[in-house]
Amino acid sequence: MASLAHPQQRQFNPYSENGGTILAIAGADFSVIAGDTRQSEGYSIQTRYAPKVFRLTDRAVLAVNGFAADGNMFVKKVKQRLEWYRHAHAKDMPLRAIARLIQTMLYARRFFPYYVYNILGGIEEDGTGAVYSFDPVGSYEREACRAAGAASSLVQPFLDNQIYFKNQRPAPGTSHPVHLPLPTVLSIVIDSFTSATERHIEVGDGLEIYVVLAKGRNLQGLEGIRGMQELTVTEDGERVFVVRRELKKD
Amino acid sequence: MSIMEYNGGSVIAMVGKDCVAIASDLRLGNQALSISSNFQKIFPVTDRIYLGLPGLATDVTTLRERFRYRVNMYTIKEEREIEPETFAHLVSSTLYEHRFGQYFIEPVIAGLSKTPSGGVKPFIAATDIIGCLNFAKDFVVAGTASSKLFGVAEGLWEPDLEPEDLFETISQSLLNAVDRDAFSGWGAIVHVITKDKVTTRTLKGRMD
Amino acid sequence: MDHFPTNWGRPRNDAFDAYATHPIHQRPYNGPKDTFADGVQHTQQPIVTGTSVLAIKYKDGIMMAADNLASYGSLARFKDVQRLHPVGQYTVIGAGGDMSDFQYIQHILEELSISEISAQDGHELGPVEIHEYMSQVMYARRSKMDPLWNSLIIGGFKDGKRFLSYVDLLGTTYSASTLATGYGSYIAQPLLRKAVEGYEDTLTEEQGRKILEDSMRVLFYRDARSLNKYQIATITGAGVSISDSLHLETTWSFAEGIRGYGAQTQ
Repeated sequence: MASLAHPQQRQFNPYSENGGTILAIAGADFSVIAGDTRQSEGYSIQTRYAPKVFRLTDRAVLAVNGFAADGNMFVKKVKQRLEWYRHAHAKDMPLRAIARLIQTMLYARRFFPYYVYNILGGIEEDGTGAVYSFDPVGSYEREACRAAGAASSLVQPFLDNQIYFKNQRPAPGTSHPVHLPLPTVLSIVIDSFTSATERHIEVGDGLEIYVVLAKGRNLQGLEGIRGMQELTVTEDGERVFVVRRELKKD
Repeated sequence: MSIMEYNGGSVIAMVGKDCVAIASDLRLGNQALSISSNFQKIFPVTDRIYLGLPGLATDVTTLRERFRYRVNMYTIKEEREIEPETFAHLVSSTLYEHRFGQYFIEPVIAGLSKTPSGGVKPFIAATDIIGCLNFAKDFVVAGTASSKLFGVAEGLWEPDLEPEDLFETISQSLLNAVDRDAFSGWGAIVHVITKDKVTTRTLKGRMD
Repeated sequence: MDHFPTNWGRPRNDAFDAYATHPIHQRPYNGPKDTFADGVQHTQQPIVTGTSVLAIKYKDGIMMAADNLASYGSLARFKDVQRLHPVGQYTVIGAGGDMSDFQYIQHILEELSISEISAQDGHELGPVEIHEYMSQVMYARRSKMDPLWNSLIIGGFKDGKRFLSYVDLLGTTYSASTLATGYGSYIAQPLLRKAVEGYEDTLTEEQGRKILEDSMRVLFYRDARSLNKYQIATITGAGVSISDSLHLETTWSFAEGIRGYGAQTQ
């Protein structure tokens, strides 16, 4: 006879938290996706350089934050699906389709979730900058900006203020810009991470900022950026760049 | 559920050039249910010292009366006004007396202390629920939105702000932080303390 | 299920209480079985364990160290265990955690090596491939809630490139110029970082050995599950070399005067 009351002790915890913070901001014709590079567990820093932001295509960049093993596996599976799509359709998957793919892949694991917060940034088919943010089980939304991870509670209200101009009234006869210029966005991203580094122990070491530019957009606003590296593969399409900065290591 | 989140509320204080500011939200809640949008958490101690008491509302009332009593006793005994530094230690020792049965309050102190030359020096401090003092040179935060306040204030604050700029900085810090906190908000109050006056402004905030 | 009782199958007599002689709650249950009801025998706990593994990058390649102890709880059970294991010609894998799981890992890596050699396709597994493979194995096992209870450090040198990376029972991976598992991550890692970071391309083999020896000594002083018998592995352009067991010199005279540290006289 089957007994349903079977006390089974099960102490293995398949999850861990590896700290760090990610953030993305969409512009009119660009998108910026950034993350710090510290990986930690508890009070120990495992490494000062473990990327959390990944180029998927020339118009899509994915940032993952939470449990690092799940994050890496998830990125691996997304990249695999994008490659299959390329082989089947001879083109890169559009951003909104990647977003839906990610939601499906996350929800597929509804009852053993990837313990990861995802932020997808890039350029939409209509040439606009876009940010999609996800929860671990696949709820998602297109937004203009989003912070996630250990210091999200520190960064998000700052972004509300600086990107959405929340609680600010424009000077009489003027109005708030709907989209900010690229140099302003980059400054806000760097300020967000230096602030988070100052007040959160799990944030620091290094900063990787990915910039995706819409098709045909010139490099206006990127001229003065030190040590920028281009990662674009295809020609005459969107372009991807990465900018690296040091953050405090204490 | 955490007792610090039972009534909600947040306080922040900032240093400026020859001035300090202290601000709080105005919400009083019963867990997720908002009860009042005019619950004061900041109280004047002297003409130049203000005290913020975020935490359990019943203890706000108790401690407010307790500090009024102890400051009065100090003033009578010493025959002079208490200085912010001294008051901070009074707050600390009052809380530590209850080390093993705490008041659920994280006090924030903002004031101007007198210098020997006759000028004033900005002073802010905060303690945890058992009176561990934190003398900061820039800003202090406390309450249910503290992590958000840390983030915004760290991004907005800069040294030597004039009173009007300090008002804008502390107001923006508080408003944007409490808008992301379910337990704080429903309006705000800001006090800017300068050498010869205290400016108090009540701010409208999101009511959701 | 359909509506034809003849298609339902006939319950065995011992499983079917035809005369309802049992009280209802004791009736034999013939419904579908919950796979997890009996508790699948998974999730163990580590039994015979190894402690820290240390590893650094240096001028010529990678250097790793681990002691020879396999503990059974607080009992120093096996004192001649090799925890640094060569895989192919370019890689060493060092393990902390459950030693039987480590032996199983050695076994699957041996099988992998054999099948790779059998292919005779000119490809050889380097440290990058071994690490990728192990991280997939470890992650797959944690996802089955049946982990291999180890912290592994994989070090190697192939095609003129150094490789040093970590993977554990959760499938968590990372690399850095110094790595340490277990107690070593608290005690030795700060020492290693101070000695190695920024000097990866100038540290000589002699200096590297000294750093690891000193770190192993500190661990022996403070980690109760460690041993003063250890091995050092180097992986360079010249290949893999794992030393014979080495002995740590220690002094304990300082403990004499400290009550609760040395032998008690009263």
